[in-house]
Amino acid sequence: MRSEFVRIYKAVHTWTGIVAGMALFIAFYAGALTVFKEPLAAWASPPVAGSVVPLAETPKLIAGVLAADPVTARDFTIHITDAEHVPGRMGWQVRDPDADDHDESSVRHYVGTLDAAGLARIEASHPSQLASFIDVLHRVVGLPVDSDPNRWVMGLVAALYALALVSGVVVLLPSLVKDFFALRLGKNLKRMWLDAHNVVGIVSLPFHLVMALTAVVFAFHDGIYVVQDKFVHDGKWGTAFQRQQPAAVAPGRDPAGMLSPLELIARARAFAPGFEPTMLQYQQITGPRAVVRVWGKDAAAVSPRARGGFAALDPYTGKVINSDFLPGRQSTPSLFVSSFFALHMAAFGGTAVQWMYFLLGLAGAWLFYSGNLLWVESRRRKRSRDGGELPVQRRDVRLLASATVGVCIGCMCGISLTIVGAKWAYGLVGDANAWLLPVYYASFFGCIAWAFLRGAAKAAVHLLWLAAAATLAIPLTSCLAAVAPSLNMWVHTSLSSLGVDITACVGAVAFGWMAKATARRVRQGVPDSVWSEGQAPCLQGSAPGVGVQAK
Amino acid sequence: MTDPSRRPVQRDWLSKTTAGLVLGAVLAIACSGLFSRLNAAMPLAVRGQLAMWMVPPIWLGVLSGVYFFSSGVRAWLWLGAAGAFITGVLYVL
Repeated sequence: MRSEFVRIYKAVHTWTGIVAGMALFIAFYAGALTVFKEPLAAWASPPVAGSVVPLAETPKLIAGVLAADPVTARDFTIHITDAEHVPGRMGWQVRDPDADDHDESSVRHYVGTLDAAGLARIEASHPSQLASFIDVLHRVVGLPVDSDPNRWVMGLVAALYALALVSGVVVLLPSLVKDFFALRLGKNLKRMWLDAHNVVGIVSLPFHLVMALTAVVFAFHDGIYVVQDKFVHDGKWGTAFQRQQPAAVAPGRDPAGMLSPLELIARARAFAPGFEPTMLQYQQITGPRAVVRVWGKDAAAVSPRARGGFAALDPYTGKVINSDFLPGRQSTPSLFVSSFFALHMAAFGGTAVQWMYFLLGLAGAWLFYSGNLLWVESRRRKRSRDGGELPVQRRDVRLLASATVGVCIGCMCGISLTIVGAKWAYGLVGDANAWLLPVYYASFFGCIAWAFLRGAAKAAVHLLWLAAAATLAIPLTSCLAAVAPSLNMWVHTSLSSLGVDITACVGAVAFGWMAKATARRVRQGVPDSVWSEGQAPCLQGSAPGVGVQAK
Repeated sequence: MTDPSRRPVQRDWLSKTTAGLVLGAVLAIACSGLFSRLNAAMPLAVRGQLAMWMVPPIWLGVLSGVYFFSSGVRAWLWLGAAGAFITGVLYVL
């Protein structure tokens, strides 16, 4: 390849990477955690008071709730599997009509239960929004609300990310064979970081291409549909999802005539062996288009959505109306569409693939962090060979080093503190969800401020220790909850909830190791670098301590 | 005549980037139209989704490849011709 092209693409890679890198770090770190959204939700969910209605008694529960609140017939869910974050057997949501479709924080949740006398009772429930909060950080690159404009920001970042991927490959191609299997550890730190950046980038390139392109679609699909409706579908797109008129069925059907949940589950299992139902979503059950979506997962198939797929059944006859979204039963074109979702959300291959995505997500976050470090290192002012005066590093380099340290480590500190805070706040103030956002952003911006005040080198050590402590506080909180019930906290002993505690332990050790390694570099590394303790914080013009170092 | 591989590569950041953005979008929508036209038997719901999904890869593929043109003018000419050709095919079909 001609060297001019390599130079042009190097410029593209540098600037797209710098603009998008820190937002992508947040998206990837929060995204890696979002792979385990359900375990996180389970960890943060307070224990359900009272016993869950047995599945066999569910028809009585449905009839009782519908008698008390007929509007519920529009859409409610029967949860089949018991988990900490499932507040009861029967649940439904009321959405604020003014709020964005993706805005989970404005949704009100209700559960239906049977009291001791067998009468239906409706209660508002307040499930922990911790897992959703981290998911929102992931979906809109660290912004607080999943709204249209924020998603467009995310889409722009994802488009820059796609450009950075292609340009990075173009830059690396001429020397790929020579560089790919080389990880040159040693004195030349920049060479080592560059080799590591290249290896991680090339090895996980398919994963990153999938993420970049799907993220662009998630941001801009509405706009693309509008344009295509005009130029491709001749204005017929709006009719594509209208269901065919069903056979003449008298409206006002009596829900008492529905098959029981156990029978519906059995019908779905008989239709699709290997499919494991997790919940039943009833829609419009008193209308002519009554349908129950039997949601579930099939570890051997591609799931169309993160929470699995569904078979649509007629709740009165048990007949399968639609299997377009049933894992393993989709038509080839539908499977293509589903695979785009599944490839983004790790909705295939079960727990092993989820762990793989978790690690790939963390590796991706590291890729963006290391990219910024390489930008900083490329612009380093070195001391002349004859040992002259120690140069002051460029101001823009010091600013970017501080921003990278503050944003990236600040995001990790913020998320760990928010997880811890979700449990403590419930015990102390009740409405724990109101505290998620202030806790996260206070720690995030606090870390950024610290990084600018103290300079990248010293702040990196402090903030990594903070990240280690905050992450260690996750399992410690669970331990404390077990020994001190008066704190009004809880500890769940399911594998998924304990998995959060164990993973946090490992994470805390990793942060501690990074803090020690960084501290060593700050003390003993070359002094002509922003990563040396002798360098000035970026908000000051001159460098105190430079004279001492130079002597 | 000069050997094209010897022609100096101009950076032309603005004209190349706008060519990739604008004509990449035109190409992507035109290609999705072609896909939709050639698969008319597929139900609209899923055909439309596939047509939407193919837009960002084509658009960003063009945008990220556009800097391989030796100048911004050539990028506009070649991509414009490609877009016109596919749009023309769509009209003929």
